[in-house]
Amino acid sequence: MAAYLSMGEAHRRITDYLARFSDAVASQDVASLKPLLSLSSASPSLVSLADALNLLQDSNRLIKQSDRYSQFAEILAPLFRCLQNYRLHNLVDAYPAYEKAANAFIQEFRNWDSAWALEALYVIAYEIRVLAERADRELSANGKMPEKLKAAGSFLMKVFGVLAGKGPKRVGALYVTCQLFKVYFKLGTVHLCRSVIRSIETARIFDFEEFPQRDKVTYMYYTGRLEVYNENFTAADQKLSYALAHCNPHSEANIRMILKYLIPVKLSIGILPKDWLLERYNLVEYSNIVQALKRGDLRLLRSALEEHEDRFLRSGVYLVLEKLELQVYQRLLKKIYIIQKQKEPTKAHQMKLEVIIKALKWLEIDMDLDEVECIVAILIHKNLMKGYFAHKSKVVVLSKQDPFPKLTGKPVNA
Amino acid sequence: MMNRGGITETLAPPGTNSLEDRHVVDARHGQPSSYSTSTAGSEASSWIPQSVNNSFTGNGYSASSTYGYEQQTQPPRRDDMNGATEASSLSLGSTSVPQDYNGYMTYQNPTNSYGYGTTGYTGYYSGYQQQTNPSYSQPAGAYQSTSSPYQPVSSFQNTGSYPVPPSYSNSYYGSGDYQTAGTYPNSNYSTQTTWNDGNYANYSTYQYSNYPSTTSAYGSGNSAATSVQYQPQFKQWTDYHAPSEVSCAPGMENLSVASSSNPACPTPGVPNGTQASNSQPPPTAVPSWRPEPGLSGLPSQQPSVVAGAGHDNYWKQHAAPGFQNQNSAAGQSAFYQPMESKNAYGSYMDEQRSTSDQGSNLQYPVVHQAPQIHQAPQQISPALDPRRGSRVQIQTNPRIVSNLALGLTKTEKAGSGTTAAAKPAYIGVSLPKPSDKAMSDDASDPALKHAAFPKSLRGYVERALARCKDEAQIATSQEVLKELITSATADGTLYTQDWDAKPLFPLPDMDGLSNTLQTPPPLPTFRRSPGRRTKSRWEPLPEEKSVNKMPPLMTEPVKYGGYMNDRNRKPYVGNSESKDGLNTKNFLTAEQKTGSFQKPFKRQRLSDSLTTADNGDASSDSDKESSLTAFYSGAIGFSNTPEERKKRERRSKRFEKAHGNRVEINHFKPKSAVSANLYARRATAIVLSKTFEESGSKAVEDIDWDALTVRGTCQEIEKRYLRLTSAPDPATVRPEEVLEKALTMVQNSQKNYLYKCDQLKSIRQDLTVQRIRNKLTVKVYETHARLALEVGDLPEYNQCQSQLKTLYAEGIEGCHMEFSAYNLLCVILHSNNYRDLLSSMSRLSNDAKNDKAVKHALAVRRAVTTGNYVMFFGLYRTAPNLNSCLMDLFVDKMRYKAVNCMCRSYRPTVPVSYVAKVLGFAYASSVNGGSEEKDSVGLEECVDWLKAHGACLVADNNGEMQLDTKASSSSLYIPEPGGAVAHGDTSLAVNDFLTRASS
Repeated sequence: MAAYLSMGEAHRRITDYLARFSDAVASQDVASLKPLLSLSSASPSLVSLADALNLLQDSNRLIKQSDRYSQFAEILAPLFRCLQNYRLHNLVDAYPAYEKAANAFIQEFRNWDSAWALEALYVIAYEIRVLAERADRELSANGKMPEKLKAAGSFLMKVFGVLAGKGPKRVGALYVTCQLFKVYFKLGTVHLCRSVIRSIETARIFDFEEFPQRDKVTYMYYTGRLEVYNENFTAADQKLSYALAHCNPHSEANIRMILKYLIPVKLSIGILPKDWLLERYNLVEYSNIVQALKRGDLRLLRSALEEHEDRFLRSGVYLVLEKLELQVYQRLLKKIYIIQKQKEPTKAHQMKLEVIIKALKWLEIDMDLDEVECIVAILIHKNLMKGYFAHKSKVVVLSKQDPFPKLTGKPVNA
Repeated sequence: MMNRGGITETLAPPGTNSLEDRHVVDARHGQPSSYSTSTAGSEASSWIPQSVNNSFTGNGYSASSTYGYEQQTQPPRRDDMNGATEASSLSLGSTSVPQDYNGYMTYQNPTNSYGYGTTGYTGYYSGYQQQTNPSYSQPAGAYQSTSSPYQPVSSFQNTGSYPVPPSYSNSYYGSGDYQTAGTYPNSNYSTQTTWNDGNYANYSTYQYSNYPSTTSAYGSGNSAATSVQYQPQFKQWTDYHAPSEVSCAPGMENLSVASSSNPACPTPGVPNGTQASNSQPPPTAVPSWRPEPGLSGLPSQQPSVVAGAGHDNYWKQHAAPGFQNQNSAAGQSAFYQPMESKNAYGSYMDEQRSTSDQGSNLQYPVVHQAPQIHQAPQQISPALDPRRGSRVQIQTNPRIVSNLALGLTKTEKAGSGTTAAAKPAYIGVSLPKPSDKAMSDDASDPALKHAAFPKSLRGYVERALARCKDEAQIATSQEVLKELITSATADGTLYTQDWDAKPLFPLPDMDGLSNTLQTPPPLPTFRRSPGRRTKSRWEPLPEEKSVNKMPPLMTEPVKYGGYMNDRNRKPYVGNSESKDGLNTKNFLTAEQKTGSFQKPFKRQRLSDSLTTADNGDASSDSDKESSLTAFYSGAIGFSNTPEERKKRERRSKRFEKAHGNRVEINHFKPKSAVSANLYARRATAIVLSKTFEESGSKAVEDIDWDALTVRGTCQEIEKRYLRLTSAPDPATVRPEEVLEKALTMVQNSQKNYLYKCDQLKSIRQDLTVQRIRNKLTVKVYETHARLALEVGDLPEYNQCQSQLKTLYAEGIEGCHMEFSAYNLLCVILHSNNYRDLLSSMSRLSNDAKNDKAVKHALAVRRAVTTGNYVMFFGLYRTAPNLNSCLMDLFVDKMRYKAVNCMCRSYRPTVPVSYVAKVLGFAYASSVNGGSEEKDSVGLEECVDWLKAHGACLVADNNGEMQLDTKASSSSLYIPEPGGAVAHGDTSLAVNDFLTRASS
């Protein structure tokens, strides 16, 4: 409100907005409708409108003065209230008003046969999530229970219900689903994703490929992450790879987010990334782990895990990375095997437990006989090593043919 | 009453002035500092002559007046006060009576505020402590503090009281004499009196609140001379008790509180023959009182008053027990002690007995109060008493609400009748006891009282006293406690209230404390009586059942107190102003309001506090009136300020609550017949709170839901768990101290888990029902969780764990680390959800990660996720706390996995001994370097286990058992669980469970 705002000007701005809104709806012009709903865009027209609304408090009268506007009063009145609060940075009050307007909007949307307003609905779904997140931040800053995002989640579920049926509106379902994923991941209630996923994946009437590209990528990213939680690496690899392949190559941030999960998944199926990839997308926290895998350096792996424990725990890949330990053991034993082969090719397939313990000692890892025996047993059991262990003589007898099979895209035998 | 009224009227005109003067004096007394008592003295004397009865009524008034005075007094002298009041009230100078009224009005207003203050601590706190501290200082502070917790209740009362003020004014007018008389005694008592007054105010408030309901009934019905008399007397008594604290006062208090009704009833007659009253406990008490206030007390007081500087003297005297003693010495002393003791005792006894019988809580409280009063002088005992008083007050409120109708009528009737009858015997008993107790130290009294009181109350008292830094504070605290307890007794909430949860009253200022300290000394006699009383209380407890009548009495006492006030006021009004009383009252209220507004400002905070006290009394009266008339509600409008104060107080209370303090519970304990109304009461309580809010224009948020929480009264340590199907009955709910005992009992019990689980569940239930969430709660849940872990009762453990999670989150101390380790283990072992595991891991603080138990749990997780069975069983061996119990639940799974792994990777065989060692079958051997016996046991066990899982065992050349890995790799299976039951939950198989539990 840098400049003085006259009542007349305020009045003009409000009526102008009302006219634009009703015209856009009447002509089904979604392009001009979208900016009218986009709260977070902070477009100059919306800001000036908010100022006008804060000056001219009886905007409801303006809405009601004409039938053209009053038919949308249920949308516009709360929307104005929301704009006012938003302008005053009162997000906690802005949210419920926006939700009310959004509710009224989907009522209207339901009545429209065509999906012309889908884009506007996207805007609403996005705005409501972002607004809820910000309102929650405000709430928790004030020491109150953040609850808006949860409310946004249930509202979006309602929107999903409007879109998920058959017909042209179904195209929009995936966008809402992705917004829901974001909400659920943020809230930590990822189990709620399941019902949405089921509804997307079981409805064969609608081919997944017909969804918009960006939604598909987002969807794959989130479902891929869910698979990481479930340690279902094959599926995770497939979904995350899809996301990576279809992601806009220019949005590096998104690529990085995908790689953050894809790299651990790939590691656990025995595929190591190139160093340049880690550097390019600033994923250096993985580089030491990759090094450890290459060298069979158990100590390096452990220190890398410890160093970034918090980060890995938060992103949820800690357990995945921790399981790489077996591969490091495998690499270590393989190295011992290679050395033995060089020295004494005939007895190379017989590996004494003492040798392994010695090697571990060099790595400053102190393990007793039983533990190493156990590790060896597990390696054999998990098919990371072919052969058997002779308990009596404490010797690992390796298969002469490919004693250390590569994973090559298959996860470690669970 | 009529006579009195007449007298009062006649006296009133002059009296009013004198009253004012007296008030001033009183105030001075209260304030010690500057009181020109000359007038007071003369007036007092005159007053005394006028009529004992009057004095009684007057006492009540006086108390109130005193308060006002005190407030005024702070300024210094009566004259000053008067002047101030006059100035403030405009017309003070003009019409003596009006002036008085005005003064009263103002006072009342202040009082109202007080009432509010009492009820609403804000007033008290701010006004009181600040203002009071100087003169009232400690007492006031004490009151305030006490009142603070009570506030909710008191606030109610206060509201009621607001309307009442008019009555006061009337009474004041008419009974200027009375008031003066009352005042005198009060004034004489001065500091103590003021304290008492404060207490009284509380009482009155309570009573008032009761009154509204009761009053209506009472007012009309009781208006009868007797009732009136009683009330006055009661009031007087109460006042006396409080103010006079003097030995007489104690008796009075006793009478007033529990037996007060009784005494009061008898009193009418009693007053006439003090000694005769000896035979009749109540009467005696009354006489004694009268003598004290009127004769001995007044004289002595007067002198002191006259002295001006006399306050100090007074104080000293008090300290030296001079006042009371003097009075008693005067010849009254004989009466006093006997009378008091007897009365008190009798009343106590009666009360106690009756109390015990009924919801006797009330009675007890009363008894307590009496002792308290007595003790009040004494530091220690007083504290107890105050607490009791406070409790009583609190209780009263709820009770009042619910009981209003019931309690009022019953109490009156029963009180009068029963008390009188029972008293003689009681008296006899009581007398001896008093002496004994007297002999015993104050401490003994408290102890005795303790016994009689709920443990929680004792705990409360202990807590209150524990924080005192010096004797002065202790004395003050005791005073406060006394009031608290007395009021609680009067209200009947003594046993119902959650003393554990009740926030401690703020510590009075040192100055105030010192004053209080001084006061206490005078009360040696009292101590005796209290002690006796306490004993009697204890004794009565068993007797509770015996006297059915007593309960009614008990309730009555409380109500009586209120009634007394009401009646007194009413009588006054009626007498002095006749039927116009109501109108006058209304006017008065209005005036008061205005006056109060004016005065408060001028008087400053101190005066406000004083006035509040007055108001408290007035308010009680007003309550009745309010209930009676819409006018009052209008009048209440005045109380806006007070209400605001209440609000503030409430808010502050809420904060206190938030801090973990629990506000007293308004629920009465419905042990006795009265208890039957529990639910109704609750409902009423809610309604009342609503109405209060409405009338007081309080926000809905101000509803004190905590007030609806149950406070247990059950003293049984052992209790079977029974799932509640209805609202809990306080009679079957154990208070915190009992629960503590119950916990220790369970911990030390040799019985099996089923029994312990049952007991612990009932403890948990009682805790939940009473909304107790503190260290004890944590302890209970921890104990139960550990027990459940030991026997593998996971469902029960999970319940405890989830509760502990929230309890720890609330910042309550406990074995947080131990249980976060358990929690971690639970997630690891029993959830396939890695997300849960990740989130619990990421939630661990660095401190936690360095904790031994948590580290162990994390290592276990690692072993499990990597399938490292050697590591797992190594950790199993070194598990801290009960971690191994949780690991137990995973052992089989781990072993099976391990054997599977071995069968795949070992060739051709693995010695079973190695398997047994690695898989924890014979872990003792590895630790001890091998006791072969255990080794073999482990080996056998391992063989059995392997066979059960389909492993192929062969013996090698040396006869050593070997696991044929190749053969076994295809034959391993997980056997059906042995104890499988149809419903799939073996833990539900009772026999199996019992054997497990008892083992």
